[in-house]
Amino acid sequence: MVPSSTKSVVFHKLPVGVSVGGPCKMSFFGFGQSADVNIVLDGQENRRTAEIKTEDGKREKYYLYFDGETVSGSVNIALKKKGSKLEHQGIKIEFIGQIELYYDRGNHHEFTSLVKELVRPGELTHDVSLNFEFSQVEKPYESYTGANVRLRYFLRVTIVKRLSDVVKEQDIVVHTLSQYPELNSSIKMEVGIEDCLHIEFEYNKSKYHLKDVIVGKIYFLLVRIKIKHMELQVIKRETTGTGPNTFNENETIAKYEIMDGAPVRGESIPIRLFLSGYELTPTMKDINKKFSVRYYLNLVLVDEEERRYFKQQEITIFRRADKVRKNYQAALSHHNPSLLSDGGGSGKSQYQNTEEENSKEKDGEAVNNDEGGKGVI
Amino acid sequence: MPTTPQLSPQEEQEKLLEEALNVVKTQAFQMKRCLDKGRLMDGLKHASTMLGELRTSLLSPKSYYECYMAISDELRHLEMYLVDEFQKGRKVADLYELVQYAGNIVPRLYLLITVGTVYIKSNELSRKDILKDLVEMCRGVQHPLRGLFLRNYLLQCTKNVLPDAVEDQSTESSGGESGTVMDSVDFIQLNFAEMNKLWVRMQHQGHSRDRERRENERRELRILVGTNLVRLSQLECIDIEKFKQSVLPGVLEQVVNCKDAIAQEYLMECVIQVFPDDFHLQSLSSFLRACAELHPNVNVKNIIIALIDRLASFAQNEEGSGIPSEIQLFDIFSQQISQVIQNRPDMPPEDIVSLQVALINLALKCYPDKVDYVDKVLETTEDIFNRLNLDHVEHGSPVSKELMRLMKIPVDTYNNILTVLELQHFGPLFEYFDYKGRQLMSCHIINNALENETMIPAQENVDAILNIVNCMVQDQNDQPEEPDDPEDFAEEQGLMGRFIHLLQSEDPNQQFLILNTARKHFGAGGDKRIKFTLPPIVFAAYRLAIRYKQLSDEDENWEKKCQKIFQFCHQTIGALIKAEQAEIPLRLFLQGSLVAGQIGFENSETVAYEFLSQAFSIYEDEISDSKAQLAAITLIIGTLEQMSCFGEENQQPLFTQCALAASKLLKKPDQCRGVSVSSHLFWSGFSQATDGEFHDGKRVSDCLKKGVKIANQCMDSSVQVQLFVEVLNHYIFFFEKGCEQISVQVLNQIISKIRELLPNLESNEETEQINKHFKNTLEHLQLKLDNAESAEQYAGLVL
Amino acid sequence: MLVLVLGDLHIPHRCNSVPGRFKKLLVPGKIQHILCTGNLCTKESFDYLKTLASDVHVVRGDFDENLNYPEQKVVTVGQFRIGLCHGHQVVPWGDIESLAMVQRQLDVDILISGHTHKFQAMEHEGKFFLNPGSATGSYNPLDSNVIPSFVILDIQQSTVVSYIYKLIDEEVKVERIEYRKS
Repeated sequence: MVPSSTKSVVFHKLPVGVSVGGPCKMSFFGFGQSADVNIVLDGQENRRTAEIKTEDGKREKYYLYFDGETVSGSVNIALKKKGSKLEHQGIKIEFIGQIELYYDRGNHHEFTSLVKELVRPGELTHDVSLNFEFSQVEKPYESYTGANVRLRYFLRVTIVKRLSDVVKEQDIVVHTLSQYPELNSSIKMEVGIEDCLHIEFEYNKSKYHLKDVIVGKIYFLLVRIKIKHMELQVIKRETTGTGPNTFNENETIAKYEIMDGAPVRGESIPIRLFLSGYELTPTMKDINKKFSVRYYLNLVLVDEEERRYFKQQEITIFRRADKVRKNYQAALSHHNPSLLSDGGGSGKSQYQNTEEENSKEKDGEAVNNDEGGKGVI
Repeated sequence: MPTTPQLSPQEEQEKLLEEALNVVKTQAFQMKRCLDKGRLMDGLKHASTMLGELRTSLLSPKSYYECYMAISDELRHLEMYLVDEFQKGRKVADLYELVQYAGNIVPRLYLLITVGTVYIKSNELSRKDILKDLVEMCRGVQHPLRGLFLRNYLLQCTKNVLPDAVEDQSTESSGGESGTVMDSVDFIQLNFAEMNKLWVRMQHQGHSRDRERRENERRELRILVGTNLVRLSQLECIDIEKFKQSVLPGVLEQVVNCKDAIAQEYLMECVIQVFPDDFHLQSLSSFLRACAELHPNVNVKNIIIALIDRLASFAQNEEGSGIPSEIQLFDIFSQQISQVIQNRPDMPPEDIVSLQVALINLALKCYPDKVDYVDKVLETTEDIFNRLNLDHVEHGSPVSKELMRLMKIPVDTYNNILTVLELQHFGPLFEYFDYKGRQLMSCHIINNALENETMIPAQENVDAILNIVNCMVQDQNDQPEEPDDPEDFAEEQGLMGRFIHLLQSEDPNQQFLILNTARKHFGAGGDKRIKFTLPPIVFAAYRLAIRYKQLSDEDENWEKKCQKIFQFCHQTIGALIKAEQAEIPLRLFLQGSLVAGQIGFENSETVAYEFLSQAFSIYEDEISDSKAQLAAITLIIGTLEQMSCFGEENQQPLFTQCALAASKLLKKPDQCRGVSVSSHLFWSGFSQATDGEFHDGKRVSDCLKKGVKIANQCMDSSVQVQLFVEVLNHYIFFFEKGCEQISVQVLNQIISKIRELLPNLESNEETEQINKHFKNTLEHLQLKLDNAESAEQYAGLVL
Repeated sequence: MLVLVLGDLHIPHRCNSVPGRFKKLLVPGKIQHILCTGNLCTKESFDYLKTLASDVHVVRGDFDENLNYPEQKVVTVGQFRIGLCHGHQVVPWGDIESLAMVQRQLDVDILISGHTHKFQAMEHEGKFFLNPGSATGSYNPLDSNVIPSFVILDIQQSTVVSYIYKLIDEEVKVERIEYRKS
């Protein structure tokens, strides 16, 4: 439940240096393990890799697959001792997609499970290489490692034995690609506290891809409080469980100062936030009825008495196939808002503030549970 | 418990600044080290930390400025490094995006500006777009102090890269648009507007008790805002048309709309100072209209005056060109100023007059020939005074000072009182001064006339000018009861006396009218004044009489006119006598007598006689001091000796009268000297009978004998000897002239008499002088004896 | 040693000021002494002379009201005794023999007098007689053609060089006369 501090992530490129393939996720074998199992994927020398966090926060790189892509390769089994025999009840390979809820370690929910028998029960007397293929596998969800939940894909080779099976797992990463949404309206809203503060804000879109730029404007209609500064936060909310057992985990991914000092009526302040520098995942909604990951833009105003005023808006993050874009156009991009026009989709809602006696940041608690989009502290 | 010493606010500031500068120093050092090693990202990180110091709210504007300067110095290293890298072809992709990840806006924008400048300098991306982006993004800093410095940094960085071309000069290969001068104008004007807003906003922050401090702080920062205007003025492609159409309206709109007195006052003056004169000339109306709309607290007077002064000196400096004739400079200013005055009912009258001062300066400098412009200003001023019910402008008050400045300008510019007199409203406006003010102004006017020797050639002019400076001519209703310091009064009236000599016409008839007019004015000046002013009139009249004589061929009536002049003088001198003057009238009569005699008109002998006899009357009736008596009779004798106009019947009584008067002086030594002098009348005095000198040796001898006799009666032996020596000298004088009644024996007698007496005198300085006098006299005689030509005449002389 | 000799200004009676061209020549700091033959008439004129040199000697003219001015005065400059007298008391006016009487009385090497408004310089029986004329050229009833003039004496040991400045047709003309003490 501790939100990671996002204090100025400037210039940190994502850490590199994690070796490809990583340490295999292998079960503990029994003493006297008699064979080394190795999975080699087809075309792996040309396959892209992607990083993913492990449960303990380390980053690892795995080969990247997309939905519907065939997963094929070969399983190499090397006997430990030359001339020995390996007796088995059959060798199989499984392709598994599963969701692990950390609070329910015992129950892994497999949403995909495909099995191929590689060898019938019998004896291995020498090293073998066994081809396998899961053609056009459905991979409906994106790999994900969150605070309370993990969604992973892996291949598992099992040499079934009487006493203890020899098991070898190999993770892959799945990215779900989305089309650029056909409907991507801007988010426009007029919010305020009566006779105190009245603003209009606009974000140019409601759906952003992972390398997108959020461009927008804040227009001050009425300012009777002494604002010290204003920032835009990107908040990630991971929801797990259902009903009374729902857990929400909020994490402030980005905290970005967009205004210093107190504006007066009539000022408009530009917003431009590059997303690619932050660790984001696509928005995930109700994944296999187990969990969701949603993103919110939180506009926060802080006045001179350290009172905070905020407004959250959900945005959708999606992944799209990489395209070459003209950098500078994005770097310079401005939003030309039609703030004053009464465009469709812009609602009016109340901005509320609570006097926080304790001005320490409590981002976690700062988010309300109200689904109606009205932010309250 | 250890007590921490309380720091004064100033010490507190110094401490904070020192701490900040230390951070800057450390981070800058680190930044440069990283850059040297090619570690750009780390370098940027240090730059960002360094820039974090500019996020502070604790520093005063002064300290913040120092911190800013230190940091912007360091950022120059970064910029130079990046430009260098770019030139070497080592481009950092997405640098412009990269710096935008900085979480805090102030460091972020400083870095963005730095990188943006590098991009422009390296011809990366579109110059036009970058400039637009930078100036837009700076909106994020709404804190006045931080925002002002940030935007100033933007101005500094972009100083040399603003597009300054009429047409976009970018080529296909250069990628984006490099922009035109109009893009620069938009860029600067937006920045200007934003900076001005921030600057004005400072006024409304904090407690009202700190207002004064805040206003001072604002004034310290004004140059940051003004720099925008300087940049605009540095764009070479802005011509008059663009200035009129785009630049000025934008600036003025901002200035007027901000409704802040400090900003308006400063920025309007900035506009005047930074843009060239010919631009101002072509856009006067809009500038002045804006002036009329300024906040009531703005000293709009200073602004307009600054502009007028600029244009006025422009009109003078620019050789030949001057003000284009199609620009009705005076009319425009005149109208707009009256609009300004109308818009500001609370404007103090002195400020109103100051504006008129500027206007009159303008009229005089730009339209030196247009007297009516100047007059118009005076009329307007008069109208304003009427409207404000100001009818007594007290000396020393601000209005009085300004009015004096106003009215001195035409005097000092024209340097010709006659031109000043053409101003119909000069006189009426003059009347608004109190006594002291009129007095000072009058002195100024008269001094001006004297310095420039402006001749006043007509009676009407004399009338007009004496009416204006009336307070120097006559008593005034409002003059103080205490009379002026006598020395000051004498100086002032002396000035008027000198001025009378400027009342001169080439036409003698006009001159006579002038003198009559002057006499009329000055004659009413009272006893104390006429002593100074009437004698010059009398002398001027005498001179006029001499002129008539010189023009006798051209004017057959000259003699009658002379007669009239002498009547005029007689009367004038009479006025002085009535004012209980004696010395001056006596001398004036003697002068008149001399002149009359010299001119010799029909009736001149009578006139001369009359004047001399008047002098005598004064001598007899009015002069009582013995020394003054001797001086007067000596002067009368000296005068009479010179005159040749008298026939015997007039001359003899006069001569006799002189000798008699001399002999009747109170003191013996005076008697002695008086009769000795009178002896000359009978020798060198003119005889009409012989048409030559009189040469009446007998009467000469009689006089001198009388002198010896009187000397003999003298009780003071020292004075007695002195008188003998003096009489001896007179004897010698006539002896040498060939007076038969005086012989060598006579001389010998007196010499031996002196020789006899001298040794008895007490030895003192006086005796020594007498000895010298006697010795010199004997030496003179010795010279004559030694001279072959005269030796014979002196034979028998005993030395 | 430079001595300025001038007189008969008659300001304001007969004239408004010393001619501008003379004023330009007469600047402070060059002249050590001023000998004035009188008829300054006002304090302002005296003050003006004071601005040119601190040592100013004035005798009384017939139009001077200041009773403090003496009728005659003797000033010693270098080796010279210089007598100063306006001259209206010396009858006949301007007569050299009459002036010689004054010279003998005052026992001076040089006698300076005025009143006639006409420059004159002559040596008579070994003595030097000087009349600087009227500095303002103010009119004189007996002379309708008065030329403004003044004199500067340059006194070196036993020699006096007189520089005579005259304003003729708006131009300053200078003459030089030398006198050596016998």
